[in-house]
Amino acid sequence: MLKPPAVSGYFRAVSQVVTNQLAITTPGTVVPKKAVSKIPFGASSALSLSRTLPDADFSVSSGPAVSTQIRWAHTDISVPNFDNYRKSSTKDPNIRNSDTEDSRKNFTYLIAGGLGASSAYAAKNVITFFIQSMSASADVLALAKIEIKLADIPEGKSVTFKWRGKPLFIRHRSADEIAKEQAVAVSSLRDPQHDNERTQRPEWLVVLGVCTHLGCVPIANSGDYGGYYCPCHGSHYDASGRIRKGPAPLNLEVPPHNFPSDDVVIVG
Amino acid sequence: MSLSKTIYNTLFKRSSTFALTCVVSAFVFERGFNLGCDTFFETINKGKLWQDIKDNYTQ
Repeated sequence: MLKPPAVSGYFRAVSQVVTNQLAITTPGTVVPKKAVSKIPFGASSALSLSRTLPDADFSVSSGPAVSTQIRWAHTDISVPNFDNYRKSSTKDPNIRNSDTEDSRKNFTYLIAGGLGASSAYAAKNVITFFIQSMSASADVLALAKIEIKLADIPEGKSVTFKWRGKPLFIRHRSADEIAKEQAVAVSSLRDPQHDNERTQRPEWLVVLGVCTHLGCVPIANSGDYGGYYCPCHGSHYDASGRIRKGPAPLNLEVPPHNFPSDDVVIVG
Repeated sequence: MSLSKTIYNTLFKRSSTFALTCVVSAFVFERGFNLGCDTFFETINKGKLWQDIKDNYTQ
């Protein structure tokens, strides 16, 4: 045990501290707690909405003196503005929705219908393309014959048909033309051929409508000799298809043909 | 009954009439589109086509 005199010095010292001028005699100014400002947020998603809900134990007070009003989220959240996505006819709050309903529907269906119509046009062209590939191919057409009813061709006319991909002229010559072509001196021609060599029946001239110069299609019943005239470089053919003037070197080609009866010619 | 209501009720309301509208307008569209393309072609090639120079050669 300590003797009282031994510890009395400590007591004295303590009492001295208490009584010292260091002792706080007047309360000091309280430094206020620094205010932490909470950033207010608007609940605009499920996550932010859930943050407004209590996540720990909580108690609810009730009673006549306690307000029990709860502020629900929907009173705080402003409705998003969807104006950019709305049709302008629905933006006016004074116009009833049902008044503009048909015009809005019409616009939507017009777009869909326009797409449908242009798709039908495209589909028709695709189908036509494939169906045309089933038609007679080039090698079949290259061996094709053509049968022509001569009664349909009036005298003095030249009618064009398509034969093996080329134009074919059938000319019903008048007696004047026949006489004129028969009378032409063969020696005066560039490609000497008598009219009888070129026709099986004098009233019917069958020639290919391909200019022997560069392959243009001559025009019937024109030119200086009343037969054919090539507009590309000015070759004149007579009513027997013989070259008379211009750059072409040869007469119009006479394809193989025969007359099985009086009013039908088969070319090929 | 306004015009848009008439159009909606007669053309677009039922799928059958809607499909018919598509098909019919496809014919109209084809005619107009082809005619427009031909006219455009003939406009930019004016003077080069046979129909433009035909009068020089036929009698």
